[in-house]
Order: sequence, then structure tokens, then C-alpha cells
Amino acid sequence: MADKALNIISICGSLRKGSYNRIVMNALPALAPEGMQIKEAPPIAEFPLYNADIQNSTGFPAAVQTLADAIRSADGVIFNSPEYNFGIPAPLKNAIDWVSRVPNQPFAGKPIALQSASPGPLGGGRVQYDLRRSMVFLDALTLNKPEIFIGNCAQRLDDKTGRISDEQTVGLIKQQLAAFAKFIGAHGGKS
Amino acid sequence: MSDNRLNVAVVCGSLRRGSYNAALARTLPALAPPGMALKSTPAWDKMPIYNHDIQDASGFPAEVTAWADAIRAADGVIIVSPEYNWSIPGGLKNAIDWVSRMKDVPFKEKPIAIQSCAGGVLGGSRMQYHLRQSLTSVDAFLFGRPEVLVTFSAKKFDEKTLALTDQPTIDIVKQQLAGFEKFIRRLNGRR
Repeated sequence: MADKALNIISICGSLRKGSYNRIVMNALPALAPEGMQIKEAPPIAEFPLYNADIQNSTGFPAAVQTLADAIRSADGVIFNSPEYNFGIPAPLKNAIDWVSRVPNQPFAGKPIALQSASPGPLGGGRVQYDLRRSMVFLDALTLNKPEIFIGNCAQRLDDKTGRISDEQTVGLIKQQLAAFAKFIGAHGGKS
Repeated sequence: MSDNRLNVAVVCGSLRRGSYNAALARTLPALAPPGMALKSTPAWDKMPIYNHDIQDASGFPAEVTAWADAIRAADGVIIVSPEYNWSIPGGLKNAIDWVSRMKDVPFKEKPIAIQSCAGGVLGGSRMQYHLRQSLTSVDAFLFGRPEVLVTFSAKKFDEKTLALTDQPTIDIVKQQLAGFEKFIRRLNGRR
């Protein structure tokens, strides 16, 4: 509905306090188009390493259930993630693996947008294509374009002030968030 | 209602007469839900190897324009393709590369479903994830699950008639086509 605000949650793939990806994530609420609210998802840092025995003996940890519920009630999810060893950071993959086992797994049909920052020139391209593939398995709907790869991020993100210092990056993020709002509208989002 | 039927174009990635993927493509009309009419796209085998100079000198070749028009006119596209050397067959990639250069890119926001048959245990999945990546670049709307990955294809088709005989494969193809119809209708309803 046009008058209903889109409720988006963002998940940061890095647990590090001074994470560049967190700087980007923290900037999102101010860059969102009108009618889109972005909030940080409940934390993933305390999830145990995935083990089906835990699930079978004591059920899903409360933190997992909390994240699953937050994803389910969101209109879309944004991943802000670094690339670790050419792939998805273990904390994030662990969170996805946990949530994927929750009955009526919440990523199904959920609009997803991806953003990554890295100190290297590729800006995390490889983590994004791995995430896209995991999202296919979970039957999520991943936004195509514009893609956001913040390369050489130390020059674009100011870790002293916690702000995005590069105007081009700011402009691109705004474009992606606007495209994401349109994408959610096209796919129906949460119904 | 017959007017309400979706027109879905079918692209086959193999030119070989005895291709299992072509056999699967031929089976699709019989497995499609009543609301979906399937039609093969014009042949892409006469397209020249992509060269920007051709485009500059004499414009898009007629075969390219015909293929692009068929995709543009369709409500959705199903690509049925083998995997060559772990990736997209050169001929199919050539066709995608050609139409991607058009001003009005025919794949843009076009619903796409992917199927593959392969002789081995992976069923052409490496081709599918490469194809997903290329189609992300042309901003297609990719259908998620179920995926159709036909493994050990020699055992799934009749040796002489090439009819698809494997019931689980028939079932998954039907499921995908039914899901794809819903996917297209949901998108059409929203834009």
C-alpha cells in the first residue's frame, strides 16, 4: 500500500565494532527514500554454531527465533557484509543456516538487497554472488541492480567519524534503496 | 479463459538433434498448467559471433532482432540448457550477449525460469548459477524454486523416442511450471 511505510531490517555480516560495513549500515536510515524505514536486525553474535543436536534437544535458541520473527515481519532485508576468504563471513552464514531451519523459513519470498564494502578494489563482489546463491536455495527474491560494491573502502568510509565520506557512494546507496522500494512493490513483499 | 493465458517463450541452449535438453523443452507444453501457452523462440544458431563492429556497421542482425522480439513479447521465458565446461554454452551466451546490447534490453524485468539436464550427478547446476549471474546483469526477474536439475539424464529419457519417462522429473517440472505461472501473475499484477 502506498501509505504504509516499508519496514526493512539490515543485518551486518561483521561483528567488529569498527566495521566498515557497519558504518554503511548505520548510514542507511538517513539515505532511505520516503516511506522506507530501516532498522538494524536483532543481533546474531550470540548464536551458537549451528548443530542440529541443539535444535533437537532444546529447540531453537531464543536469539534465532527473534531474528526469524524479525525477518518474517519485515518487508525486506538488507545484508551489509564484508567478504571473508572470498566468501560469506562465518557469523553471517551461521545466522542464515540457523534461520533456514526454522519451520516456515522466513527468507522464502522475502525481498533482499546486498551491499558490501572491502579495502580491496572489488568491494566484496565475491561475497555477494555467494550470498545470492544461498538466497536462491532459500527462495528469497534478491534485487539485481544497482549493485553496491564499496571498493577501497578505507578511502570512502571514515572510521573516525563513522560516516560515509564519499558522495558517489552515498548517491549509489540512495539509488539502490529507491530501486529496492520499487522492487518490493513489484514483487509484493510481505502480504 | 484462453485470453488470459500467459505466453511463455522457451529457449533451448543446445543445437544437437538428440539433445536431452531439447527433449525436455519439447515436453514442457504437455506439463504446463492450463494458464500457460509455450512457444519456442526463433533459432539463435545463425547469429554471428558477437562483435561490436557488426552492430556499428550494419546494426543488429535479423536473427538477433527476431530473438529479442520474441523475448520481449513473452510474459516469461524458460531457458532449458546443458552445461558446457561447467558453464553456459557459447551459443546461448552469444545470443544473450547480442540482445544485451540493445537499447530496450529484452530481458529487463522479464520473469525467467531455468532448467538443465546433464549426464552427471550435478544436473547442470554450475551452468544455472552462471546463467543466474548473467541474467542478473541484464536485470531479469529470476524464478527461485523449485529448481529443475535433471541428473543422469540418459536414465530419465527413453533411449529411442527421447520422451521424458522419469516420474519424479515430470513432477518437479510440473511444480516449477505451476510456480512460475504464479510468479509471473504476481509480478504482472503489481506493475
